[in-house]
Amino acid sequence: MAFRILFEICNLIFGIFLYYYILDQGNLPLEKYEKLQTQLQGLLAEFKISGEAARVTPLRSVTDLVDTASQRGIKTLVACGSDDTFNVMLAALKGRDFTLGFIPFDEQSMLAKILGIPDLFTGVKTIAGRRIEKIDLAKIGGSYFISFLEFGVMSQQLKNAGLWQSLKLLSSESRSFTIEIDDSYTVTIDGMGGLVANIRSTSGKNEGIANPTDGNLDLLIVERLTKTQVVTYRGAIADGLLEKVPNTTVIKCKKIRFLEPRGFSLTMLGRVVSKFPVTVEIIPHRLRMIVGKNRTF
Amino acid sequence: MDKIAIDENISQQAETVVGPSVKIQGDLNSEGNIKIEGQVAGKVKTSQSVFVNQGAKIAADVLAGNAVIGGEVQGNIKISGHLILQSTAKIAGDISCTILRVEDGAQFSGKCVMNGAAAPTATGNGKRAGRDEELEPEE
Repeated sequence: MAFRILFEICNLIFGIFLYYYILDQGNLPLEKYEKLQTQLQGLLAEFKISGEAARVTPLRSVTDLVDTASQRGIKTLVACGSDDTFNVMLAALKGRDFTLGFIPFDEQSMLAKILGIPDLFTGVKTIAGRRIEKIDLAKIGGSYFISFLEFGVMSQQLKNAGLWQSLKLLSSESRSFTIEIDDSYTVTIDGMGGLVANIRSTSGKNEGIANPTDGNLDLLIVERLTKTQVVTYRGAIADGLLEKVPNTTVIKCKKIRFLEPRGFSLTMLGRVVSKFPVTVEIIPHRLRMIVGKNRTF
Repeated sequence: MDKIAIDENISQQAETVVGPSVKIQGDLNSEGNIKIEGQVAGKVKTSQSVFVNQGAKIAADVLAGNAVIGGEVQGNIKISGHLILQSTAKIAGDISCTILRVEDGAQFSGKCVMNGAAAPTATGNGKRAGRDEELEPEE
């Protein structure tokens, strides 16, 4: 009883335990979205973490909702939707201090896999458990991300592509990239493209690459591939496991400045995030994230 | 640590891998193992191990814990542990290490200093002077 009173006082004064849920339909059919919402409301009440829920609409974007939560002094934001919902929410933080959570509406969510939240029920249970892990936050321009960015190589396209389509995508002419690392040295490479990773679905605490708690970014660049290599390694490239491809360059660093070719796109899950020249850097242990027991890191 | 162990250690756990078509301009610093297959025009520095593959070129100094050199280095190599010069290695510069292994065919022009090497004694037998000698009773 005493704890309950203390909990309510904390909520009223500091907003510490008050949860703000951002519900995003994304590409879901309306019927499924409504069903998931009802299910979510029930589970939130059951676990006594109801807080406030706000739906994303054409007139009220994720960014608007993050601003509203900030004005109300709320400290915990929970993105309910797809990976894209979380990524947009992260970009909208603009350096403001929140504890973040994620509840997946999408069964194919990569972030859900990373955080150890396979479904809606586990998502709500995880938020209620409030196991918080401090992870590295990556910054690109004035925006933020936690997963990975790609350039040249499009893993999303490759995942759905057949053999001939993959050959076409990966057999194109290589590009000459110029990239500055840690304000210390410049890398010039003729390659197909690559990725900058903080976390990926195969991340692990003992993994050398894409460990979200090591305070580093990992830059992987693939050189031009032969047709045989495309056939052999297209699966690895589609999964973002570029280090498995022969002759791949791997660099662990804190700051990356993509200089050339100018205008070349950096993408996240197929969506263009920025263009060269641009700087990507890591802020170690900056993000407080509510994570599941079965997280990959 | 023997040669095979060092090779496997670097190849499997290299934190930084510089691919064959990569050209690096500037100082390459790392906290982990480095594997170089391309070209580096600048200092290479790590407290761990460096593997310079055949065909790779480094035009500056190399400072590392251990090193296996199979490529070309034009600069001084300062290693605190093992240094292995493979048959394809071409070194133009001074080297400093604790344990050195040179394979047949390796090319090396420069001075070589062994860390903790035995200082030549008056008798010229190369026996380590100092504490060891003091412990032995004189006859």
